Amino acid sequence: MRNFDLLEPKTVAEACRMLGAGDEVRPVSGGTALLILVKQGLLRPHTLVNLKKLEGANAITREGAGAVRIEAMATIHEVETSPVVREHLPVLAAACHQVANIRIRHLATIGGNLAHGDHQSDPPGVLVALGAEVELSGAGGVRTLKLADFLLGTYETALEPGEMVTAVTVPPVEGRLVGDYLKFTTGSSEERPCAGITALVRLEGERAAEARLAVGAVASRPLLLCQADPSETDLEVMADRAAEEIDPIPDLRGSADYKRHLVRVLGRRALAAAWKEAVT
Amino acid sequence: MRHLITANVNGRERELSVKSNQTLLEVLRDDLRLKGTREGCSVGVCGSCTVLVDGKPVSSCLMLASNAEGKEVLTIEGLARDGNLDPVQQAFLDHQAFQCGFCTPGMIMAVKGLLNENPKPDEAEVRDYLSGNICRCGTYVEVMAAVEELTGKT
Repeated sequence: MRNFDLLEPKTVAEACRMLGAGDEVRPVSGGTALLILVKQGLLRPHTLVNLKKLEGANAITREGAGAVRIEAMATIHEVETSPVVREHLPVLAAACHQVANIRIRHLATIGGNLAHGDHQSDPPGVLVALGAEVELSGAGGVRTLKLADFLLGTYETALEPGEMVTAVTVPPVEGRLVGDYLKFTTGSSEERPCAGITALVRLEGERAAEARLAVGAVASRPLLLCQADPSETDLEVMADRAAEEIDPIPDLRGSADYKRHLVRVLGRRALAAAWKEAVT
Repeated sequence: MRHLITANVNGRERELSVKSNQTLLEVLRDDLRLKGTREGCSVGVCGSCTVLVDGKPVSSCLMLASNAEGKEVLTIEGLARDGNLDPVQQAFLDHQAFQCGFCTPGMIMAVKGLLNENPKPDEAEVRDYLSGNICRCGTYVEVMAAVEELTGKT
């Protein structure tokens, strides 16, 4: 592999100082995305800052008010198998289980996944559907952004020089969410998603108070549609609207027209399944 | 730049001086001469370089060697004990769960990882877990038979 120096901070403050040193200094956590880019010569950093050795940076906890906080260095497998995530955010556990293969899930981190900004990935869409926020730490302190505002485009995020993602937080839900993540691949099952659809219905008591449809992996950033007090007929309209509004990136997994068609079909299917779960 | 790390490799404590840009795979193969772990795709897709780190399967081609600090690394060479094959190795032999053998060390380590995590997986769980290990000879049926024997299904 191309040569680089590896700096190994023990604290976030130290890491941010190192990351502020210039464009050719990049952070690395699990390495499953970044090292491929380095191996392929697409990225030529002279220094990598290893975030894997930050202490206590992988905890997953439920906070007092009911928010779930996932420290950035939690691996995808740790998110997938966390009792807190499985109990309170089963849709996130289900989506993380479908990321790549077991070996990658043991290495890749949730913070790295989001900071990498690759649109062809499972977690960003589902986290946008859950209204997640990212915590960014830098020399100037800590700030919080909606994940939907953090993800700007393919490989593009709102991270400033010298900043790193330190946590992702899913705010408490009023009522409860039912629904699932539907992954569609055009190759083998462990491939990157051609489309990743999250359909959720938020129940307040027995009443369906909101329907959410998030489309990941199709456009350069996830698309989220929400509908208050939905009826069953609203759901098809939502899926059709998503198919109209999405700006699909054509690639080897499908043409723009094909992906638009997928969004309509899978969106309807996922919302219908969520609705069925909500009313039974 | 070099990093001095200690890691337990196949039951033996090692002090290793690893380069910043070295992967665990490169340290195993080039420095420790453990050639059983194979480099296939080099991008985490094929599974040939699977080793266990603290009992969990990882793609050693994408893990920076420095991150093995303080970890237990198990490779195909560390499975046999006192001249006896590991049950997973024996099951692969008994079912001829390989042809050319290139993917076999990774496949066996993945099965070890699976059984560490879930000693009694059902067929769907086995298929799901091993979906990221590719055998271009197509010995999947025999691999499934070997795993079924190990989980007591045959």
